[in-house]
Amino acid sequence: MKKIPQVMSALGAAVATALVAMAADAAVLPTTQTDSSWYQDGAAAVAAKVAQARNTGTAKNIIFFVGDGMGVSTLTAARIYQGQQAGNSGEENRLSFETFPYSALSKTYSVNQQTPDSAPTMTAMITGVKTEDGMLSVSADSIRGNCLSSQGNELKTALELAEDRGKSTGIVSTARITHATPAATYAHTPERDWEADSNLTAEAVANGCHDIAYQLVMDAPGDGLEVALGGGRSYFLPNTVTDGEGAKGRRKDGNDLTAKWSEQFTNAAYVWNQAQFDAIDVTKTDHLLGLFEASHMQYEADRADDTAGEPSLAEMTSKAIDMLAKNDKGYFLMVEGGRIDHAHHAGNAARALADTVALSDAVKAALGKVDLEDTLIIVSADHSHTFTIAGYPARGNPILGLVHEPNDEAIAVNAATADDGLPYTTLGYANGPGAKQGARSDLSGIDTTDVDFLQQAQVPMGSETHAAEDVAIYATGPGAYLFQGNVEQNVIFHVMNQAGALGGSKY
Amino acid sequence: MFYKALMLLALGSLSAHGASVCPATAPAGAWGLEYQVSASQSGAEPRQVQLLRRGAQTALYSPEHQMAEWWHFEDPKRPGFSRVFDQQQRRIDYYMGDLRALGVQAQQEEVESFAARHLLGQLTKQGSSPCEHAERYQGEINGVSYDLLWSPVLAAPLAIVTRKGEVERRWQADKLLGKDAVNARFATWQRYRETDFADIGDMENDPFLAKMINQGFIEHREHAVYNDQGQPLATGHSH
Ligand SMILES: [Zn+2]
Repeated sequence: MKKIPQVMSALGAAVATALVAMAADAAVLPTTQTDSSWYQDGAAAVAAKVAQARNTGTAKNIIFFVGDGMGVSTLTAARIYQGQQAGNSGEENRLSFETFPYSALSKTYSVNQQTPDSAPTMTAMITGVKTEDGMLSVSADSIRGNCLSSQGNELKTALELAEDRGKSTGIVSTARITHATPAATYAHTPERDWEADSNLTAEAVANGCHDIAYQLVMDAPGDGLEVALGGGRSYFLPNTVTDGEGAKGRRKDGNDLTAKWSEQFTNAAYVWNQAQFDAIDVTKTDHLLGLFEASHMQYEADRADDTAGEPSLAEMTSKAIDMLAKNDKGYFLMVEGGRIDHAHHAGNAARALADTVALSDAVKAALGKVDLEDTLIIVSADHSHTFTIAGYPARGNPILGLVHEPNDEAIAVNAATADDGLPYTTLGYANGPGAKQGARSDLSGIDTTDVDFLQQAQVPMGSETHAAEDVAIYATGPGAYLFQGNVEQNVIFHVMNQAGALGGSKY
Repeated sequence: MFYKALMLLALGSLSAHGASVCPATAPAGAWGLEYQVSASQSGAEPRQVQLLRRGAQTALYSPEHQMAEWWHFEDPKRPGFSRVFDQQQRRIDYYMGDLRALGVQAQQEEVESFAARHLLGQLTKQGSSPCEHAERYQGEINGVSYDLLWSPVLAAPLAIVTRKGEVERRWQADKLLGKDAVNARFATWQRYRETDFADIGDMENDPFLAKMINQGFIEHREHAVYNDQGQPLATGHSH
């Protein structure tokens, strides 16, 4: 019981009242219980909750992090993975945003699918309206892939509202910045695959729909985005051009949108490698476009091997905040961990977890730069994957390893076996490339912790699929307390709109 | 699985009895070899496989399936790879991270040599060859006897015969393809609609890609000289 008086003195009157009940309980509990660090840490956590005051102020700045495909099982596994990489048992670790005071569960289904893709989910989060799969920030009255049907059905996004309020805006992603999640913040299209003009249909061209890359630069909201960093360079360059890393452009219209960026905006800069990125003087640059790969950026696990070098998600986030924070009216920034999804699709847990940790690091970088008194930070995901953490591995068992059970006398040697007599990994997928027809292969003697290992799966598929269960929302800062319980995914927009006073509707 | 698929498409079997193709020099720019692939017991018609080379690019093409596996080794540490589907006029492009995430470790020399380079060091060079500009190698590795006709100027086999028990497999180059044919094919493939492999999982709405997601990539096992683990058969070592 030695902790309780200290806690009480620290927390003041309101807490003291709340703790009366606990102290009374403690008196009837055995000391083996109340002396336990689990007990004391738990009590301290509750005391901290009681002491916590809601920040009902206005969020001048909003930073919205999205882990593409970052389901709850991915968070748990990444938390353990990060903890174990630091030399600990892992389970007790917390990703940077897992310490946020508020959280909720988010229902991710789209208007037409139980299991959604990133297009309708980001549309829901950024516009407040659920739509159909494949569509970006247009309503479900549109028909996928039909330009005409989408006209008049455009939905205004939180980023566009922020531009209207004179705030600075930015997007950062390790995927192509024309990919569904970042694109839904600034583009409106009935087809997520219209990333360059060469992807447009004849109908789309005839009816005047613009491709996503074109929309980012030429149809930009307000005075244009202040920051856009990520992959997707080839979608901005003509197909007659070969870029600095040897890849060809994809545009048929002859537009070099990287050049247009500088023509279109004041004090604008375009960079495509690490050295140029590092050399950017934030005080002299007002509009920064950075495209570090022809397509998606490298997985975090492979980033060091990139030809021309590319910044980490944390580095891009830091630079983006430095750019945006110059505006006294505040800013809106969306940051996507875009490749968690791709590694899961490949059935490759190690890369998915490394990219999840990279997102956690980016949140940590943001926390080091902002004042939570006036900045709302939200971390969520668009959808989950068929990724599981199973079996009865002992505490501290390597998260990428074979299952060794705690009662196994030779824990370091013998892996637990399943009914087929073969060992199995803690991590697995319900479907995907890691499955094979017929019997499971024997993993004895296989290094399942290798970064290139594909976890076993049940249903053989060329690509592992998304999953339909809820994802988590974590939040801190003004308005964060609005995230409670289980919410529809589109509620996220309404919290940003309300907390940030973006003027999107009357409340 | 993936490396295996490449080799499955590539390899069938030799005949060093003679050589219908035996160039003294490699054609400038680009060239290709068309192999007839057959097995003694299958009773099936011989199949064709083409090895197409241009600089650091190598493709293995099956005219029968109208599918190709196309490698780019401009930067050998970061190979690029595409699967080409002629019938659908589609291409799936794999970047370095995709290949790594799938556990694919392709050896440039093996891809470029029609998966035969590793055999040279394990077989015995013969004094005579049925072809003036080619070297003949023979020997037995792990119970499989090999008869290999190797073209040093192409760094590729002109013929390979493998025999294990009653089964004889032959791969014999019977046509040298000139640079125009090879360039034309590469140019055609370059024009196909391309999709990043990383994006396939998010494109279930595309009927062609939905098939890939639901059925995986089609593999052709009938000509395999690689085992179930994707390792070259009978090479005495594994990677
Ligand atoms: Zn996905």
